[in-house]
Amino acid sequence: MRNVDIVIVGASLAAAAAAKRTVDAGLETVILERKELPRHKICSGILSPRGHRFLLENFGPLPRETLHEPTSCRGVTFHFPSMVSMPMDFFHGTTPHLHRKYSDHWAIQRSGAEVHDQTSFAGLEDKGDHVLVHARKQGEPVVYRARQVIGADGPSSLVVRAVYPDYPKQIPWFFVGQKFHEIIDCPLSADYFHFWFHPGLGHYTWSHARDGRQIVGVGFKRGDNFAKKHAVVQQYLEDKHGVRLKPAGDDDEGCAENFGPSLINRYVFGKGNVLVTGQAAGFLNMIGEGMSCALHSGAISGEAVVEARLRNRPVQEMYRKMIASEVRRCSDQWNPLKIALEKPHEADFPAALMALSWRDRGKVLRDMWRFVVLFKEFKWGRQITSAALQRPILGSYSMQRWL
Amino acid sequence: MHFGACVVGSEGFDASPGYDSLHSFHRMVLLKISLVEPGTVGPCPVAPDALQGIKRQQTNPARWKGAGWQAFVSALDAAGMELVEGAAACGVYATDAGGTAYGLPHGVVVARSAGQIASLLKAAQTHRVPVTVRGGGLTTEGESVAFGGVLLDMSGMSRVLHIDAKALTVRVEGGIFWHSLAEELRREDLDYLSAPLNLTSSVGGTLGVGGIDVNSARLGCSADQAIALQVVTPTGEIVECSDSQNQELFQRVILGYGQFGVITEATLRVRPYTPLSMHYFYYSSLATAIEDLQMLDRNDASDYSGILTIMDCAVNLLVAFDSDEREAAFKANWESRLRGYGEFGFALCMLGHYALRPWKLTEALYLLQRKREVFPEFRRAEYMRQGKMHDRTVVFSRAVWKHWGSRQMVIPDLATSADKFVAAVERGNAVCRKYFPRYTLYCVGIKLRPEHQAHYEMSCVPPDATGWAYGCEFEPIIDGEVYSRDHFQAFKNAIYDIGVDMGASYYRFGGMMKGYIRRVFGDALVDKHLALKRKADPAMILNRDVIF
Repeated sequence: MRNVDIVIVGASLAAAAAAKRTVDAGLETVILERKELPRHKICSGILSPRGHRFLLENFGPLPRETLHEPTSCRGVTFHFPSMVSMPMDFFHGTTPHLHRKYSDHWAIQRSGAEVHDQTSFAGLEDKGDHVLVHARKQGEPVVYRARQVIGADGPSSLVVRAVYPDYPKQIPWFFVGQKFHEIIDCPLSADYFHFWFHPGLGHYTWSHARDGRQIVGVGFKRGDNFAKKHAVVQQYLEDKHGVRLKPAGDDDEGCAENFGPSLINRYVFGKGNVLVTGQAAGFLNMIGEGMSCALHSGAISGEAVVEARLRNRPVQEMYRKMIASEVRRCSDQWNPLKIALEKPHEADFPAALMALSWRDRGKVLRDMWRFVVLFKEFKWGRQITSAALQRPILGSYSMQRWL
Repeated sequence: MHFGACVVGSEGFDASPGYDSLHSFHRMVLLKISLVEPGTVGPCPVAPDALQGIKRQQTNPARWKGAGWQAFVSALDAAGMELVEGAAACGVYATDAGGTAYGLPHGVVVARSAGQIASLLKAAQTHRVPVTVRGGGLTTEGESVAFGGVLLDMSGMSRVLHIDAKALTVRVEGGIFWHSLAEELRREDLDYLSAPLNLTSSVGGTLGVGGIDVNSARLGCSADQAIALQVVTPTGEIVECSDSQNQELFQRVILGYGQFGVITEATLRVRPYTPLSMHYFYYSSLATAIEDLQMLDRNDASDYSGILTIMDCAVNLLVAFDSDEREAAFKANWESRLRGYGEFGFALCMLGHYALRPWKLTEALYLLQRKREVFPEFRRAEYMRQGKMHDRTVVFSRAVWKHWGSRQMVIPDLATSADKFVAAVERGNAVCRKYFPRYTLYCVGIKLRPEHQAHYEMSCVPPDATGWAYGCEFEPIIDGEVYSRDHFQAFKNAIYDIGVDMGASYYRFGGMMKGYIRRVFGDALVDKHLALKRKADPAMILNRDVIF
């Protein structure tokens, strides 16, 4: 059995950020990763400027190999069924198009933590003053004894399941898949990430350029058929935007996503000596960018471990107090009052809207409302309203809602 | 935009501890990582306009990997120098007063003499081992945190060497804390000119960054009181310097953030000790209070002056005097010009204010609570004799720690010329409001000495300031709350961004401020200092990651 201070599950950006904090403070940290590193990661790779700054300040300049082509993204373009398009540049300039396979590997190594890849998390036992982590390395069982465990293993988190076995049943699950197409003709600007507010296409529909090909992606409630959904989107892009693509390559990919927790302030931060962070905790920015909040929440989980030791306080208490700032920032992006009255995003939606004619503004608002109605079946309305009102009254979002 | 020289690492990644299997190594070398030379900014592969205005630097440094450490330890051992290694010894130095940067040295050396430090630096140059110098550890951005390498703890050199009561000078070792110096000077009925309110900062550290006091509007910053220094240069030479001897080194070491040498001894100007008579004026407008403060400073109307805010609508202007004559002159000529109220008058104002705004009851209660807790601190019987305050430094330092400070010193600041100051403070105040429910602003003027202009280059003194510079610290009242470092850093960055926008500077320049230095001072000036630094410190070992 290996005795360490911290075990982090998952070799993600959140894990790298958490490890950076614990390693800096002199804590012996081991990262467990199921796959062999560098490992493939399904992701659009468009990092927000805030996330870019975090990477630079904590891990140094990004190597070229951590980026796809085009290496940067200028902003987001919203497309609406009424054929109005709104390009919005990110505040602070262009932002990286990360190659997650290499960017995550680079950040993990720059964190200075010890990495055990090909080691699958199999379960844990919280013993009060330590946690026993059971894992399998290439089939062989291994056990770690750690003071704290940080679960940074993404939306389908095994750590969350170990702590809250029923949690996956409590939230709606989505499937997000992308296919890669050789381009015949693509009028969509390669400088932007394109997103469609179109209820007929899916809950999350996007496209952008990568390494000479065009990604066509679609997200929908789990249970639907990816191939059919994708075909509808591809046809729509051809009919409405003149995007002519060759049939998709055979390297299509998809994964389960937990949209929702940050929208309704239903995060899961763990129990006892087990902390959950990143998208495993439910952090996801609007437009589905999860990397920047994974980096920041991951760092906060590492800080919480350090602070808990320095102050001799329970780690959950520290973590929940410290994570409140990131919850505010992330949930603000989904908060209708914040969107209407302030600028919680990293691109200027109000300015782009005001740049349109009155007629187009009306179309955009109508189309957005129709898109929002698509989510009606999840019955989030009351929870969103409650969270939106809590923010100005309490100055924050209720911690009582967190698991 | 400056793209400095860039060395492509032939070995790819720095090897991480525990990640050294041959298989892993082969995977690692897939990526060629540009190693950026200290002080320069490497090209960004993302795009030239990524993160506009923010230079691409790692401000939360990676740990130095320890190449050559054992040979360095052997060299110190051969020289008979004591070096402590191990987690218990190094863990003490894991962070600084700011508490946002953490790092551990490989080993710690407690300073004993200039000769010992010279040997240490010579060995460090040879083996390219980073040396981080720490005085009181009261930096706020990780400047005194070692990210690997050796930490030189200056607290071992903390003696007063000589007091010359006739010439009004004192010679001290660099690691002495200001409160120890104050104690020794009091025995001779002397006092220093100005010191930071935080008296557990060291003299050497303070001379390297600035240091402000409530009398700085009259006597300048703490760094201005240094007459001569003994400095150990990064290559291990022991040099005496002053404005007339080794002038260039003196100019760079004063306000130089520890880049050009370790201050082992300093000769400071001192003055006869005097108790203080204090006066307080209360304002409901920050801008009015600042205008009155600047009016007093311009007219040399008081010996001490500063602003402490309690809330946005409750601002305290503090005025004090060394002599009855000065106090009488103030009363005769200047007091009536101040627009602030006395304590009773202001209490009535506040009563009216909150009577009309009953929904702000919690604010009123907070104000009352602060009044009950803080005001008596400045009138404690043991420090008052015949209505005058004795040991002001102890009174102020104690009150600051007890009622403003917390276990983390989160005090980003701005230093501007006099005419920009109101606008800068009001913008900073708006940032505080956004991030924290309660906060205090501390504003002080700093008299600039024309003959010290060369000292001020690339320092906390803003380049456009003449006559006086003005500084404001923005200090959240944390009061037992727990915030993430990210929240603190976002708050600090928002304050620092104001400085970039307004062409200001900062009192506590260094550490995380590395990301700001080129934005604030421009490439030409930074490159000039970087060239000097490279010449003085070829291996770039001394206080890495502070500004370069």
